[in-house]
Order: sequence, then structure tokens, then C-alpha cells
Amino acid sequence: MRVGAESVISVIRWRGRELIRKQRLPKAYRRPEIDERIRRSRTLHEARVIKTLSENGVPVPVIFFLDIAGSSIYMQRIVGAELRERLDKNNILLAERLGMIAGLTHKLSISHGDLTLSNIMVGVDNGLWLIDFGLSFFNATLEEMAVDVHLLERSVESTLPWLRMNFMEKFYDGYRDVLGREMTGRILAKVSEIRRRGRYVERTVR
Amino acid sequence: MPTLIALGIESTAHTFGVGVVSSQGEILSNVMRTYTPRIGGIHPREAAQAHARNAVNVVVEALSRAGVKASSVDVIAFSQGPGLGPCLRTGATVARTLSLALGKPLVGVNHGIAHIEVGKLVTGCRDPLVLYIAGGNTLITCLVEGRYRILGETLDIAAGNCLDAFGISAGIGPMPAADNLAMRGEVLHDLPYKVKGMDVSFSGLLTASEKLLREGAKLEDVCLSITETVYSMLTEVVERALAYTGKPSLLLVGGLARSRRLAEMVGSMCSGRGVSMHVVPPELAGDNGAMIAWTGLLQYMSGFRTPVEESIVRPKMRIDEVEIGWRV
Repeated sequence: MRVGAESVISVIRWRGRELIRKQRLPKAYRRPEIDERIRRSRTLHEARVIKTLSENGVPVPVIFFLDIAGSSIYMQRIVGAELRERLDKNNILLAERLGMIAGLTHKLSISHGDLTLSNIMVGVDNGLWLIDFGLSFFNATLEEMAVDVHLLERSVESTLPWLRMNFMEKFYDGYRDVLGREMTGRILAKVSEIRRRGRYVERTVR
Repeated sequence: MPTLIALGIESTAHTFGVGVVSSQGEILSNVMRTYTPRIGGIHPREAAQAHARNAVNVVVEALSRAGVKASSVDVIAFSQGPGLGPCLRTGATVARTLSLALGKPLVGVNHGIAHIEVGKLVTGCRDPLVLYIAGGNTLITCLVEGRYRILGETLDIAAGNCLDAFGISAGIGPMPAADNLAMRGEVLHDLPYKVKGMDVSFSGLLTASEKLLREGAKLEDVCLSITETVYSMLTEVVERALAYTGKPSLLLVGGLARSRRLAEMVGSMCSGRGVSMHVVPPELAGDNGAMIAWTGLLQYMSGFRTPVEESIVRPKMRIDEVEIGWRV
């Protein structure tokens, strides 16, 4: 279904249900001892993040099985589309909901690590879901949280440039609702600092 | 356009180097002296003093090997940063003196960009993703809209610094000592493997390796473990950067580009992705004057000059500060 930099995503059937399998494949360049340890620990880490978020009300796929030896997570398939494909000026309120979800995640001191419009799903009932926690962190620093917001903004900018201002305004409304004025202010300051450093390159660098 | 000649001075760390290069991309000479500390790592002041003692001889030798008279040099280029302040200042002083005495324009060069540009010159690759790995620097970069943008970098110490510091504290000396002993290693110990997106972190790995050694692990095994871990981390972030940018070629530059095992590992990843890998040749991998001369020439030909009063050294200069005005 999808091949990422380190994993393969496929849809499998289990008792009449469709599940997503995210499998981290071996890297031939690494020695097997290192390779297995890294794949296992990352799989376990990702599962722990998903579980923590899920228990605290952040909409993430439910984990059905964890196959540590096989470096695979079997989880709920979110039926719907990427936010990238759904976002337009008519449903800008999704930005506010996303702000709340991001705020909730950061409130748990978790950073997503790759918060782009392709890692946010819109379900059939128009609900939002966060997916892909391969680069996430527990005990996230202010910088790591700000990077989430920054990456999101960049992602909106490269997909729907005319919507960016409006989107971010709504996003911060939702974010502020959850995290409060003070914390949101600190994040905003850090985001502009990161932007000034200019080290994050868009996907269109080719 | 007539052929121009640049003399480049490198003095960011333990090497004082002078290279003479023509605008045809010919390296006419490349002379260097390296300061070796009696104990421990580089002592900035001692290194700077060693550079000052060697400077005149190295400049004279570089010119005579190149068969170029001082008066025929068109541009004086020097390494302006990043690097150790006292060392940079010594090179800059030599450069300013030559510039004023000969009446030739001065061009301040970013050391990291010089590593990249000389790599592009000698390997002939045009617009690669670059892995720059050395004693003081570890970063992944490519040219986007006139600047070398940093896609990933070390969050603490450089990969080369990690391996050098380990070698020195283990009593075997800096690289390539750890690489050589690793070949006789058998057991791979678990060490911290810290990758954050396209960034890496090596300081915990260094501490853990030193601890392993203190606890009685076999030196060869620790060498194997630390080198394999460092190179696996680098290969992984480079793979992510390749996937991200879609670049068809990769260029390895900097002192650690001499490591055969690193090139082998990165090469195996590249061939799996259909990416062509280029490695700067060993004699131009470490710090040298020729890379400064060549980059200075590129800058000069695109109209760049550094007036003496603006030639202050920049120990913390970043490569993404520099506008790249020349052709790719």
C-alpha cells in the first residue's frame, strides 16, 4: 500500500476486518545485531506512543497486535482520506480541531515528529486521526513541539499556500484552547525562531 | 577568459595548508603541515602557534611546487570559518598580509563549502546530496535556491570527533585507529543509537563506549561496536535524506570520507536505491588549502570579495549563511 523510508504499510484481513500492518523491514547495510535491535525498539516505542495517546483521548488508530519479533504493528485501518486531499476553504474548521488534537498531544509531552498533512487522516464522519508515530518522542522539548507546528505550517504552505494564514489562525485557536495562552505564546516564539534558522527544506527540493 | 590562479589558506583546526589552484580546476600544489598534540586533543593556542611557525615555509613551498610566482597569483583565499578561533586567526593574518603585500583581492571562504566544492570538482558530480563528515562537522546538505540547506546534522559532537576522542581516550590515537582495530573485533556491544529524523547525536555513544572499555570489554570489540553504530546511524539518515529529496547522486566529503567501512555501508544502501555514490579522494578528504583556493576562485569569479576590514574570522559560521553565486 505504501513504502516509507523504513517501513512497509499493507492492508490485511483479520476476522472480516481490515487491519493495517506497519512492518519495519531489515536494512541490509546494517549488521544484523544492530538492525534487529533498532527495528524492535522503534516498533515498541511507536506502539507505546500510540497507546499513551489513545488512552488520553487523542484520536489515533487502535492497536490490535504487536509483533515485536517481526517488527510489525497491526492496527485499525482509518477509512477516509489524507487531510492533504480534503482540506479547502469550506472545511477550515478542521484546522481548529487539529489544533486541539496537537495541543492534547503536546500536553502529554509527546511530539509527533512528522506532522504533515499526509500524516493526518480525515475519517468518513469528518473526524481527524493522527497516524505515523515513527519519529515521535516522549518527554518532547519545546523545540520538538514547535517543530511539529512548523512542519505542519510548511506542509499547508506547500499544498494550499493561499490557505496558510487562515489555517494557522484556526489551528492556534484550537491549540490555545487546550494548552493555554502562555504555552501557545512560547510555541509561537519558538516556531518563528525555527523559521528564521531556515534549516527545514520543503519536499519540493528536487 | 584568461586563466586565473588562486592561493588558498586553510587553518581551521590542526592542519595548516596552502594550495594553488587554477580557474581550469587544476590543483597545481597542495602543501600541508599538521600539528599533532603530545597528549589529548587539539589545543587551540598550541595549534595556532604551530601554524604560525609553519606558515612561511608552507606558502613558499606551495608556490614553488606549483611553479607559480607570488606576483602571478590573482586571488588570496582563506578559511574564514567555522573552526577554532586562534587557528583561524593565524590563517587569516597570513592571508591579509599576502593580500596587502601583493595587492591582490582577498576572499573569505566557508570551510564546509570548500570541502563540498572540491569534492564536486574532482568527482565531477553536479548537484548531489552531500554527506559532510569530519572531525568537527557532520551534516547532510544539498543546494536549494542558492544555498546549501542543512537537511540533517549532529545535535552535539561530530562523527569524527566521537571516533577521534574515543581513540585518544582508549590510547590508540585518532582515526583511522578505531577503524583498523574494528577489523579484528568479534563481539558487537549494544550502544546508544540516536537518530532524530535526519539528525544524529553521538555524545552518549562516546560516553557509553568509554564506559564499556573501563568495564573491561575487549578494545577491538568496542572499536567494532562504536564504528558500526556511528556508520549505521549516518547511513540511515542519508537514506532518509535521499528518499526525501529524490537526489540521484550522493557525495561523501570530509576527513571521515576516508573510512572504507563507512563508504562500503553507504555504498550498499545507495546501490539498493539506484543512487550513484561519489567519494572525495583521500588526499583531498582532510583539511587542505586547495579546496579553499578552488572555492575562493569560484566566489571571486562570481564577483565576491572580502575587504580586509571585513575579514574577521567566524568560528561558528554555518554553511547555510552563504549565498552560492556560482554555477552548480
